[in-house]
Amino acid sequence: MLDKNAIGRASPPTLNEVEKGAIRRFAEAIGDYNPIYYDEEYARASGYPTIIAPPTFPASFHSAADLRELLGVGIKSLLHAEQGFDYERPIFAGDRIYVSTRVSDVFERPGISGRMDIAVIEDEGRDEEGNLVFRARRTLVVRAAKETP
Amino acid sequence: MPARKLYFEAIRVGDELPALAKAPVDRVQLSRYAGASGDYNPVHVDEVYAKSVGMPSVYAPGMLVMGMLGQLISDWARGGQMRRYNVRFIKMVWPGDTVVCKGRVSDRHGSGGRYFVEIDLWAENQRGELVMKGSSQIQLFYSLEDENRQRSGQSPIVVEVPRESLATAQQASAGGAAATSPSAPEEGEEDDERRTGASSKKTAPREKPAAKTATLPTAKKAKK
Repeated sequence: MLDKNAIGRASPPTLNEVEKGAIRRFAEAIGDYNPIYYDEEYARASGYPTIIAPPTFPASFHSAADLRELLGVGIKSLLHAEQGFDYERPIFAGDRIYVSTRVSDVFERPGISGRMDIAVIEDEGRDEEGNLVFRARRTLVVRAAKETP
Repeated sequence: MPARKLYFEAIRVGDELPALAKAPVDRVQLSRYAGASGDYNPVHVDEVYAKSVGMPSVYAPGMLVMGMLGQLISDWARGGQMRRYNVRFIKMVWPGDTVVCKGRVSDRHGSGGRYFVEIDLWAENQRGELVMKGSSQIQLFYSLEDENRQRSGQSPIVVEVPRESLATAQQASAGGAAATSPSAPEEGEEDDERRTGASSKKTAPREKPAAKTATLPTAKKAKK
């Protein structure tokens, strides 16, 4: 059973600079060759100020979060069960986005082999003016390490 | 030249997104995705490690598959803005697997000059097994005219469009078998008489897409 007190625990915002090369490599890794991720001119002709990032690009952002610290347990394994994003606007090359991570929920759910510990982790990305850019939610099945302190 | 854009007025509930069959996943792609995402979890890149924890091989991170399904949406919704994108990971994707991404418009609605379509999404492997399912909400301009107006600083075109899934349900419960959406897409090539006939044929299957192309996600949804 994960500690309910973990709910609300958060990491301080960490700066992520969105580089064109990072967008390109991310889109290439998915095998997505939409020119909107590569070609400045094409992006502008499509109505954007510059190239944009694919919708799952926030997966590449880092935050200061250490899940073991946030959840307060040693982690044996994590299973990514669900993922969600809410977008206020597209992410553009050149954006400077501050990402913070918080534990938004912790609960138990019946699983095939007994009860499963579930943690819902929410990332929030804001621009330098503090405007919300996106929210991301990860639902994780957590298997805590056996040795309990 | 940017590709042709998608506008709200042209979309109908039940429209299917053109299926996207991705190239088979291989270990090089898993390495590239690890590098691009910064997620070096060894179960995705280190074969020896993956086997040591009981896996037959490395496997694709769920986020890679979510990225593929995201491509399906972005390819279709050119000119639209993704507002929401949620998925549930169902089955692992292994090297050699081919992911096929599919989607269908489940709803459309607009109010106050903002227009949204809701899409049901799912991904299958080469055996037709469901590996992921999800949904997305896309915001679109109503029409080219609406886009031109807004880009030149004018007010948007305002058409109140109630959630169509609700309207369809009401029509169906009222016994309206012939009920069609008020404005079927009519690219006028034929004369009026033939067009009327053609358009009723065209819209008829759109009314009940679930029955025609029922797959697991739809079947589940219908039961709710």
